[in-house]
Amino acid sequence: MKRTEVLLVAGAGGVGKTTLAAAAAVVSADAGVSTLVITVDPARRLGDALGIGGLGNRPVDVADRAQLWAAMLDVTASWEAIVTRHAEPEVARRLVANPYFRAIADRFPAAQAYAAGEQMADYVDSGAWDRVIVDTPPSVGGIDFVLAPGAMSELIGGRLLTWLTGAGIPGRRALYRITAKPMLRLADTVLGGPLLEDIAEFLLDLRTLYDGLSSRASEVERLLRNARTVLVTTASPTPLREVRRFLDELPAAALEPAAVIFNRALPASWGGATPPTDVDGIDRAAWTALHDNLVRWGAEARHEADTRRQFAAAYRVPVATVPLLTSPPTDLDGLAGLVDAAPDLARALLG
Amino acid sequence: MLDRRLLLVSGKGGVGKSAVTASIAIAAARTGRRVLALGMVDSLGLAAHLGLENLTPEPRRIAPGIHAAVIDRAQALDEYLRLQVRVPRGAPTRQLSRALNVLVDTAPGVREIISMGKPIYEAQQSRWDLVVVDAPPLGQLLSYLRAPATIHRLVSTGIVQNQAAAMRRFLTDARRCGLVLVTIPEELPIVETVESLGDLAEEPLIDLAVVAANRVLPELGVADEVVAALPDGPMRHTAELHATLEDHQRFWLDALGDATRLPYLFGLVTPAEVAAQLSAHWADQE
Repeated sequence: MKRTEVLLVAGAGGVGKTTLAAAAAVVSADAGVSTLVITVDPARRLGDALGIGGLGNRPVDVADRAQLWAAMLDVTASWEAIVTRHAEPEVARRLVANPYFRAIADRFPAAQAYAAGEQMADYVDSGAWDRVIVDTPPSVGGIDFVLAPGAMSELIGGRLLTWLTGAGIPGRRALYRITAKPMLRLADTVLGGPLLEDIAEFLLDLRTLYDGLSSRASEVERLLRNARTVLVTTASPTPLREVRRFLDELPAAALEPAAVIFNRALPASWGGATPPTDVDGIDRAAWTALHDNLVRWGAEARHEADTRRQFAAAYRVPVATVPLLTSPPTDLDGLAGLVDAAPDLARALLG
Repeated sequence: MLDRRLLLVSGKGGVGKSAVTASIAIAAARTGRRVLALGMVDSLGLAAHLGLENLTPEPRRIAPGIHAAVIDRAQALDEYLRLQVRVPRGAPTRQLSRALNVLVDTAPGVREIISMGKPIYEAQQSRWDLVVVDAPPLGQLLSYLRAPATIHRLVSTGIVQNQAAAMRRFLTDARRCGLVLVTIPEELPIVETVESLGDLAEEPLIDLAVVAANRVLPELGVADEVVAALPDGPMRHTAELHATLEDHQRFWLDALGDATRLPYLFGLVTPAEVAAQLSAHWADQE
C-alpha cells in the first residue's frame, strides 16, 4: 500500500487556516498528487467553491479539479460517534441514554478534536489519497489537537476509574460497588441526588471502551507524530501566543513544526514610507486625511515587521510570510494564486 | 452597564475579549467603583492586558480600585463546598471533596457549575461594586451557563439543586448581571455572533448587556476618485487598502445590527496600552 502524506494546518481560529489548507490542497492536486482536504468550518463561499457547502461529511470530488477531494468534518456528533464505534451495542445504548452523557456530550473539546483525528486516520488508512491535508478544528488550538488522543485515553483509563474500579480490573463493577459506591451514595445524599452515581455508572461503562479506544488513539497519535505540521498565525498577540505555546511546550506526540506562516502581512516597506510632500489637484483636508492614513498603516506595518523579526530571532523554525489580500480568494484559481503570490508559502506548506 | 454587579465578557477567540474585559475594569475603576477582574479559563490574555505577568487565585490589588484574580479549580471547588453548598457540619467534607475533586478532574459537566459559582459568589460580596469576567468563547460559556439547568435536570432535590436555582436567578436578572458579547466586523465572527444572539433569544440564559464590535476602522473620508488619481506609492496603496477594508467592515456591521463600536488601534505595542485606550470609550458611554 502506498504511503499517504499528512499535512496538519494548525493554529488559533480566525487566522486564515482554512484558506491556506485549501490553497495547499489545490496546489498539491495541480501538481498531480491526489489530495484530500479535510476542513471544519469553512466560510460559506469557500465551502461552496469546494462543493462542501451542504450537509454530510463524505469526501466529495471537487468539480473542475482533477485529483482534488474535500470533506467537511462533523464535530457535533463526535462523542456519540466515538461511543458507537468502540462500545458493545448494548453498552453504547446505555451510554448514550445516560443523563450525564446527554448533559456533557456536546461540550468536551478533546472529544471533538479526537473524533476529528480518528476521522482523519480513517481517510489516511483507506490509502485512497497520496496526501491528506487537515485543517484543525477552530475550538482547539494546534497543540490540543495533537494532544487529544492522549487526553481521550487518559479520560477513559485515568485515575478516577482506577480509583473507582481498582487498578488492573477495568470494567469490573464488583469492586466499585464495595469500595466507592457507598462513598458516592453518601456524597449524593448530601448533595441531594444521584448525580455522582450517574457519573460513576457512565464512566464505568465508558471504561469498557478502553482497549479499543486506546489502541486506536495510539495509532492516531502515531499518525500525528509523523505528520508535517505547519502553524498559521498573524502578528496579533492572541494567535501568536498559541504558536508560542505549541513551540514552547512541544508535545512529545508531535514533530517540530515544518514552518510558521505569518498570514495577512502588510508590506514591510510601508513602515518606512515617507508621504509625498505635494500631490496635484488635492485639497488640504483630503491630503491631511491621506497623510494620517499612511502614518497609521505605516505604524501598523512596522509593528508587524518587528513582531516577526523578534519571533524569528527567538525560535529556530522556518518562517513564511503571506501578504494581506483585501478580498480573500473564494474560488479554486484564487486559492492557487495565493500560493503563487507568496514565494515561501508553497515550500512552507508542501516542502 | 457598569451599574450591574457581574459582567461576563465573551466572544470568538481572537476578537479582543481580554482587552475589552480589562478596558471595562479600568473604566469602572475610574468612576470610583471597586472592581474585580476575573480570568476564567486562559488567564494569560487578561493578565497581559492588565499589565501583569500572571494572575493569582487570591484577588490582588493591581491598581487603584482594581483587583485581579484567576479562578483556580481546586480552590473554587473547596469554596463551592464550603460557602455555597454549605455542606453541613459533621458531613465528611474531606472525603466528599476528594470524590468531587476526582470527578471534576475527569468530568467537565461538574466543573462548569463550580467555575460559574465563583464569579457569582464574588459578585454578591460587598467588597466589589463590579465583577468583570474574561469568560470563555460563547459556545463554551453557554454550556457553563446551562450548567445550573443541567444540574436541575440531573438532581431533583437538595442543596446543590437549591444553589443551582439561585445561580439561575442571578444570571438572568438584568439588573445584576449581563453579557458583553465581543465581535469584529469580519465574516466568521459576525455570522457566529448573529447565530449566538439567536440562540440567546431562544434560550435566555443571561441578559445581553451590550454587543461590542471591536477593531472598527476610522472613516478615511476621501472620495474614491481622489484616491484613484494619486500617484502609485504607499499613500495610494494604504488609502486603497483602508477603503476596501472599510467597505467590508460596513457590510458586516450592517449584518450585525445594533452594536457599540470600539476603534481599531494602529501600531500599539503592548496589550496594556490597548486596554487603556479602549477604556476611554466605556467612560464616554456612561
